[in-house]
Amino acid sequence: MRGLVVGPFKSVTRILAQVRKELIQVRRRPGAFLSLVLGPFLIMAIFGLGYTGVRKPLDTVVVIPPTLSLPRDPAFYQQLAGPALNILSVDETPDSAQSRLANQQLDLVIVAPADAADKFRAGQQAQITVAYNSVDPIEAGYADFLAGVVDRQINEQIIREAVTEGQSYVIGEAGSQIHVPPEVVAAPTTVSVTNLAPTQPDVVGFAAPAALALMLQHMAVTLTAMSFVRERMSGAMELLRVSPVNSLELALGKYLGLGIVSGIIAAITVALLVFGLGVPMLGNVWLIVLVIALLIAASLGLGLIISVVSDSERQAVQLCLLLLLASVFFSGFVLPVHEFREGVQYGAYALPVTHGIRLLQDLMLRGNSTSWWQLGVLGALAGGFLILTVVLLRRTMRSA
Amino acid sequence: MEMPANATGGPPAPTGVATALPRASRAPLPGPPSIVLDHVSRSFGAVVGVEDISMVAAPGRLLGIIGPSGAGKTTTIRLILGALKPGSGAVRVLGEDPRHFRRTTRERIGYMPQSFVLYPELTARENVNFMAALFGVPFFRRGKRVAEVLDLVDLTDARDRRAENLSGGMQRRLELACALVHRPQLLILDEPTAGIDPLLRTRIWHELDHQRRAGATIVVTTQYVAEAEYCDEVALISGGRLIAYAPPADLRRMALGGEVIEVGTKGPFDVRALAPIEGVNHVRQLGPAQLLVFAHDAGLASPRVAAAITAAGGQVEYSREYRPTFDEVFAALVTGAADARGQVE
Repeated sequence: MRGLVVGPFKSVTRILAQVRKELIQVRRRPGAFLSLVLGPFLIMAIFGLGYTGVRKPLDTVVVIPPTLSLPRDPAFYQQLAGPALNILSVDETPDSAQSRLANQQLDLVIVAPADAADKFRAGQQAQITVAYNSVDPIEAGYADFLAGVVDRQINEQIIREAVTEGQSYVIGEAGSQIHVPPEVVAAPTTVSVTNLAPTQPDVVGFAAPAALALMLQHMAVTLTAMSFVRERMSGAMELLRVSPVNSLELALGKYLGLGIVSGIIAAITVALLVFGLGVPMLGNVWLIVLVIALLIAASLGLGLIISVVSDSERQAVQLCLLLLLASVFFSGFVLPVHEFREGVQYGAYALPVTHGIRLLQDLMLRGNSTSWWQLGVLGALAGGFLILTVVLLRRTMRSA
Repeated sequence: MEMPANATGGPPAPTGVATALPRASRAPLPGPPSIVLDHVSRSFGAVVGVEDISMVAAPGRLLGIIGPSGAGKTTTIRLILGALKPGSGAVRVLGEDPRHFRRTTRERIGYMPQSFVLYPELTARENVNFMAALFGVPFFRRGKRVAEVLDLVDLTDARDRRAENLSGGMQRRLELACALVHRPQLLILDEPTAGIDPLLRTRIWHELDHQRRAGATIVVTTQYVAEAEYCDEVALISGGRLIAYAPPADLRRMALGGEVIEVGTKGPFDVRALAPIEGVNHVRQLGPAQLLVFAHDAGLASPRVAAAITAAGGQVEYSREYRPTFDEVFAALVTGAADARGQVE
């Protein structure tokens, strides 16, 4: 009977002892604490101040062969292409431009077809050639997109001129009263775009929730992995192994101690983002707190798993960085998760940050989410990692 | 349990000359042995950690495991703590298999590792407090007990200094305080006196004697052979093998083949002039006027030796018990064991 009362009391004592120890250790290293708090905010601030959100216009040369009766003035094509292209010149032959493109002195060369008139008369499509020189798939996609825009603009211009000529002919012959402007014939519809999102943040505002989730995961993982690996490397684990503390108490002590530290850092970082950088926060604060708490809990578990499987501090650091790299690629931070193959998506959803990014973006920028299932997955990850940690810890503590 | 051929079996209280520290003055406390190692072996791949080790630590006794660096002392400690699984043989500690200690049993054990493994950022008091909490000392008793134990190891003045800022000797004492804070019934100390000054070593042995008198069973490893003097039983280990296991006085006897009398003569005396003496194994010339007499019983042999010397024309100036240092004892036992193995092989 006495054991039933004393046992849980001693367990709480052991867990609280570890929480206290973790907090003291972090407090005694103020430099590390400050870098944990200020580091993420400073990165976001520099990103916010340094990133304009405007793509550099592509340096472009337009080649109009002498056989064509198209305008030769670069300003004409600049007006057609808009600010995404910087029309440097209009040449008659492509050789010089393509040589400069090969030397990466140009971004884009647009060559109008010399046989455009003949093809048109023959009822065939002429081909505009657009050349670029980029290994970056995103930049290549952007160039493709711009080429399409240019193509449509030139087509519109051709149609407009043809219709103008045709109307003169029709009015001259029949004295018709019908007048359809060439612009309408060339482009019968226009687009009016409306964004239903409740807020339209700038680039920093949009990136902040994702960056916050990524930083919280990395911080929690690193804190735990380093704390536990250090204990193993210093030999303190030998003492813990001999002591009556069990793997669950050990894991809970770490979770609570480092969870409090991570929670404080998260609170300060969110406050700095919202009040310092003006990042929107439209959702329920307690829901956001819950998401952050689950994200931290799951990340702490991930850190403990890394520390248990690492042989040295160096290996733990490497694994933390690998996890960060995987998170950047697969979590939706850079590329949408649904664009990956199905098997890879499962891997992405095994990362706490994937759910943290989606939920924090939804809650902070939209005020609500349509992905509540991800909150459940995040909770399951936190619980699953805790169980896995306890099992691995038990094996570590008793193995020899 | 069958003990090694050169072991004495039971743990009789050793006899000997008193030193600054009280030695083996108490009989074991009643009850089953605190520690039993029965023909235990453990290898690490091709490397032998310990081989066929047997020893017993009775309640309230101080067992010293002595041997040079790499002899297998720490492996033995780790086997006792359950941190290592024996390859063969059996280990019982406080009546349990250490690999499956109950938590209440772990609470009765204090352990001091060989190197400093506490938390450098925590102060001396915080470290002891942390260990006390881990071992289940309740909050309302902890403050007083922590202060007591820090006082015991003379760290009261340094209680608020971070462990990383303590000297090596102070760190050892801090670890000792952590091992003692929950009043363990079994205290296991891995080289508590390694690398610290002789004065502090003496203090640590005083404290261990105090704990032993309070009823704790203590297992200590050391590479300082002379410290065997302070133990109730000594296990000499070399190359992973148990060379000898006996009370310190018996180790001397085992090393020298019996008791030894140092005899001084007035003027030079040649040992070859002596006729065989009843009860004397052999006599060795130590100097021109000094002899070493090896006998089964020094008390019986002493007058016979004096008579034999007088009969041979010599004159005895003094006769006293010869106490070789434990370094000599250890060297003799290790050499003897190596010779015996060579003969067997």
